[in-house]
Amino acid sequence: MPVDSFKYLPRSIAAYYQTLRVERMDPIPWTPLSKPLNQCRLALVTTAGIYDKAREPPFDAGREKREPMWGDPTYRRIRRDLAQGQIGASHLHINNRDILADVNIVLPVNRFAELEDEGVIGSLAAVNYSLMGYQPNTSEWRARYAPEVAGLLKDEALDAVLLTPA
Amino acid sequence: MLAQTFEEAGLSTVMVTMMPFWAEKMGTPRTLGVEVPFGHTLGMPGDREMQKMIIRAALSLLEQAQQPGAMSEVEVEWPQASDVARKDWQPLEASPIIKMMREQAQARAEGRKQET
Repeated sequence: MPVDSFKYLPRSIAAYYQTLRVERMDPIPWTPLSKPLNQCRLALVTTAGIYDKAREPPFDAGREKREPMWGDPTYRRIRRDLAQGQIGASHLHINNRDILADVNIVLPVNRFAELEDEGVIGSLAAVNYSLMGYQPNTSEWRARYAPEVAGLLKDEALDAVLLTPA
Repeated sequence: MLAQTFEEAGLSTVMVTMMPFWAEKMGTPRTLGVEVPFGHTLGMPGDREMQKMIIRAALSLLEQAQQPGAMSEVEVEWPQASDVARKDWQPLEASPIIKMMREQAQARAEGRKQET
């Protein structure tokens, strides 16, 4: 059965979403996978709005509360060896309880470490990235933050990225 | 949008999403659709098997996709009843934008009441 994108949304929001216009990029940018998966270096990028409590500040939820049409466009670094207890979550649009119980549901650092051990992937990046998915206006992502994260990933000679919107 | 920027920079991407409807509209390079509640892209907390199954399907798409806009799906049996799951992922306190929209709707309703 095909995936129903609106199954878990309240009906009013689902109806609103279906009417929104989306800017489609054409042609779709494309980088073919350059080597077998078991030789690839992979990174994880989520938009779940998580952060490392010991090293970086939360996303700016205060400003979003004052300006509901604004979402924090910055990013946070998540090290692969981060302990579950160090995870903080700033997302105001989901219940963060399950992410705070197991970060692997949005940023699967432990599962990818296992896949690395099993030889399924070449390796998992030392540093992975988290952004805040609520972005009514993506112009700052487009102009600054997405290219910045791409540059940081390229600096680490990564081949591929698993993206997990939340 | 992030996926497109990364591909332009020379990184191959695969996105796992509960909203393949959006991904298709936006033109996402490689999309794995999965029917899960928001905030649970790779499954239930503590359920390694479900997480691994979704991840393996994503990696398989990453390896096998031949052209931009490639889409596939993975079937997941969500352990909660739909009506429970539909509420359970939502924040305990309504998000700022939802609060604002509710206040606006209320103001409009009150405005109509005063007119009559």
